[in-house]
Amino acid sequence: MEPILSVRDLVVEYRTAAGPVRAVRGVSFDLYPHESLALIGESGCGKTTLGLALLRLLPKLGSVSSGEVRYRRRDGEVVDLLKLSREELRRFRWSEAAMVFQGSMNSLNPLLRVRDQMRDTVRAHRRMPADELGRLVEDVLRKVQLDPERVLPAYPHELSGGMKQRVLIAMSLLLDPQILVLDEPTTALDIRTQRAIVDVLHELRAQLGFAMIFVSHDLPLAAELADRVATMYAGRIIELGGVRDLFYQPRHPYTVGLLGAVPSVVGDLSELASIPGGPPSLLALPSGCPFQPRCGYAEADCEAAEPDLAAVGAGHTAACHHRDRVTYTRKPATAGPASDEKVASGG
Amino acid sequence: MRSKSGFAGFIVFVLLVLIAVIGPLFTPQLVTDVTAVYLPPSGAHWLGTDSEGRDILVQMINGGRPVILVGVLAGAISTLIAIVFGSLGAYLGGWVDSVIVSVTDIVLTVPQIILLAVLASLYTLDSPWLLAVILGAFAWPYLLRSVRAQVFSLKEREYVEAAQLLDLGTPHILFREILPNMASFIMMNFVVTMTNAIYALVGLYFLGLAPIVDDNWGAMLNKAWTRGAIFFSDSLFYVLAPIIAISILQLSLVTMTRSFEEILNPRLRQS
Amino acid sequence: MVASDTEPVIRPALLRRITARIYHIYVVRRVLKSILTVYLVATGTFFLVRLLPGNPVQVYINTQMSQYGISYQDAASQAAGLFSFNPNRPLPEQYWEYLTGMLHGDLGQSLLSPSTSVLQIVFEYLPWTVFSVGLGVLISCGLGSLLGMLMAYRRGGWIDHTLSLISSLLHSIPNYLLAMLIVVFFGVQLDVLPIAQMRGAYSPGVTPEFSLDFISDAMYHASLPITVYVLTTIGGWMLVMKASTVDTLSEDFITVARARGLRDSRIASAYVGRNAVLPVFPQLAITLGFVVGGSILVEQVFQYQGIGFLLLQSVQRRDYPVLQGILLVVTIAVVAANLVSDLLYSRLDPRVRGAGGESS
Repeated sequence: MEPILSVRDLVVEYRTAAGPVRAVRGVSFDLYPHESLALIGESGCGKTTLGLALLRLLPKLGSVSSGEVRYRRRDGEVVDLLKLSREELRRFRWSEAAMVFQGSMNSLNPLLRVRDQMRDTVRAHRRMPADELGRLVEDVLRKVQLDPERVLPAYPHELSGGMKQRVLIAMSLLLDPQILVLDEPTTALDIRTQRAIVDVLHELRAQLGFAMIFVSHDLPLAAELADRVATMYAGRIIELGGVRDLFYQPRHPYTVGLLGAVPSVVGDLSELASIPGGPPSLLALPSGCPFQPRCGYAEADCEAAEPDLAAVGAGHTAACHHRDRVTYTRKPATAGPASDEKVASGG
Repeated sequence: MRSKSGFAGFIVFVLLVLIAVIGPLFTPQLVTDVTAVYLPPSGAHWLGTDSEGRDILVQMINGGRPVILVGVLAGAISTLIAIVFGSLGAYLGGWVDSVIVSVTDIVLTVPQIILLAVLASLYTLDSPWLLAVILGAFAWPYLLRSVRAQVFSLKEREYVEAAQLLDLGTPHILFREILPNMASFIMMNFVVTMTNAIYALVGLYFLGLAPIVDDNWGAMLNKAWTRGAIFFSDSLFYVLAPIIAISILQLSLVTMTRSFEEILNPRLRQS
Repeated sequence: MVASDTEPVIRPALLRRITARIYHIYVVRRVLKSILTVYLVATGTFFLVRLLPGNPVQVYINTQMSQYGISYQDAASQAAGLFSFNPNRPLPEQYWEYLTGMLHGDLGQSLLSPSTSVLQIVFEYLPWTVFSVGLGVLISCGLGSLLGMLMAYRRGGWIDHTLSLISSLLHSIPNYLLAMLIVVFFGVQLDVLPIAQMRGAYSPGVTPEFSLDFISDAMYHASLPITVYVLTTIGGWMLVMKASTVDTLSEDFITVARARGLRDSRIASAYVGRNAVLPVFPQLAITLGFVVGGSILVEQVFQYQGIGFLLLQSVQRRDYPVLQGILLVVTIAVVAANLVSDLLYSRLDPRVRGAGGESS
């Protein structure tokens, strides 16, 4: 199967007062039709920058300094997104690939009603008679479990956070894009709304079959929604593989650390294993592997050279010199006798 | 002061004020010479002479002080009113605050100069104190609003700690917190108010609403206008000099406050 | 409270709720505030003209008595006609008379031409100021906002720097001084503008009517005052709009709008423009008040017979009823302008319309 999106050696720089900073340092991956890819990492690892760069939505101070982003259109033609002209890019955006942003609080124009913003979106790309447009908009809102009558005449500030997020998801589907990029789709929402959004996304993928890239720091979300997962650290992908492979047999120490840091909901709250130290400053990266100062497997060769992604299994790669040594044992999620005791004593 | 133009503005401003305040100590006596009326600039008279043969440059140097002094007074009065009532309103809240806000809105609405004109018709505005009070009496709304907003936000912060503080301590702390925080903002507003007062004052003199007792810039403009000096090409500097002086004062002020604004609002800065 | 009294007990509570709900409507609150302002200014004027020592009414009465030897009663009755309230009556009655007179449009008569009503005189001069100031502020605001937006889009470029410089320079010159400069330079020194001809609101001998000739003549005469108003206020708009546009451009929904593939023109108008222009409205009302105030000076320089011109004239002649009337009318005009701009703002920004739309 041919990938729908191929990213090769993408490098993104930001101009800062302290000089140029590389937020993305050579990322390569493929996205296949209908599949869902999760980009997981801590704040500052470059995942959001990567997401923005794919649609060339970087802020003024950011720019892609090198690399390729090859996109396969529905007619089979392959284009490099980075080379599109302004007008071509404008037409590409939303109709081929759409993005749902982080923090839905301020993603909608506060002065326009939802119906007008939906209309704007469609009209920018297609000519459509008013009634057909109306039906399309209502259709797409129902798909995200929203009542069009309630939502369309409203202004953004009249909607709740969850409703706004769903409006944004609906808006992204208006033109039936092949790829949907979501940046932290569930952050800043309460638990129940998160659940609702995740369910909606499941439904939509089943119904419409778009490919999805979502950026998050939320591992359990990835376990639910992703087919493949990539973990990012200091601007690079350090592990990439199928969701089961990554969660059951991670081969990069950082991924292991991330998994270990998720507390279990069931059973004892055993010691939380957090990764010691903090993510490095992109202005002063450690020599060799950027994770090496915090890594339990680190040795001399780790400081000498930065490892590349190398195969550790079928469709599973990890960027670690010692990937064959990395192991991970999941703690069994059962309630032990100690917790029974707590419950019995009336805690 | 990072901006170059802002710093230049500051220097010019200080220089102007210095010349106006200290200059008069060094100027020679003005001599009325009817034969030397409306002379163009020459070696003897750098800016020429006026309708009575008196040297314009001397008048310019002398003429700044009365105007600037009243301006400073007016600025001080209005700044004081703004700080006191702004913090009082925010701190006390309730109906006191509502009254203060309403009064502020009303004073903001009615055009200042018109009120001044009406007052001038009722009372003779000869004493500089009276002028300063009247000018300062209408200039405080802007600063009051800002002070009030600041105190409000500080009040929110202090609220949590207030429970642990003695009642006596809180206003004291408020004043020790507000002033350092807002010092630069208050300074800027003072200077702006002062310059606006000068502009209004010169306007009053120009219109003849305030009696002319000495040769200040406003008086020069008034005489130039009433004696038709504007319409003669020879007497150009008589009109031009005070205009340029006031404009330079405002220009230096504007550049100063622009760079202040850029410092306070980082998004306006160029990267 | 007997059982049969339960009905009246419910009604006051209901009435209170209805009043509260009406009060919550922003428009109602805003209009009430405007009426209150006008009322307070009117009362303040009354206080100034009647109650302070050495007040004009007293002076008038005394002068009449000493010059013409008439009795206090007669002098007072004369004053009553001129000032629109009777000094003979007790103070609260005077106040009431004054207020009701105001509502009926009776603002007294001119001291200098006792048969002409103040209202008549004021309305002879007012339209000219409304015309010149209104046009000036609108042009200045419109042009200034567009330029400000341009400066924000092309931040750091030569347009930004040049326009900033120009606006700083213009901002520094008080309006009447600029007016004088224009007269001096263009009128006298360079002899480009026929200053003498441009005096006044319209050429002598031309009758006011709604003809093209008259309108173009009026425009010709108003052009200089309007130019001064525009030049001296445009800097402010440019600055406000630039800062506001810069802020708006950094908002998330603009990035999202670009991601949605919207055309730049649509983004600039409905997304950036509409949001960025909001702070302009409160500024509009303040600027209007400021320019109206400045008209007293500018109209003097250009001898333009508007309300500012009348005001100065009345001050010089100590024509107090007219002064009182001018103050009132100008206040009403400015308050009305404020009201309109605030209501427009609430129309444009739906977030304000909820309960508690404080403008500060």
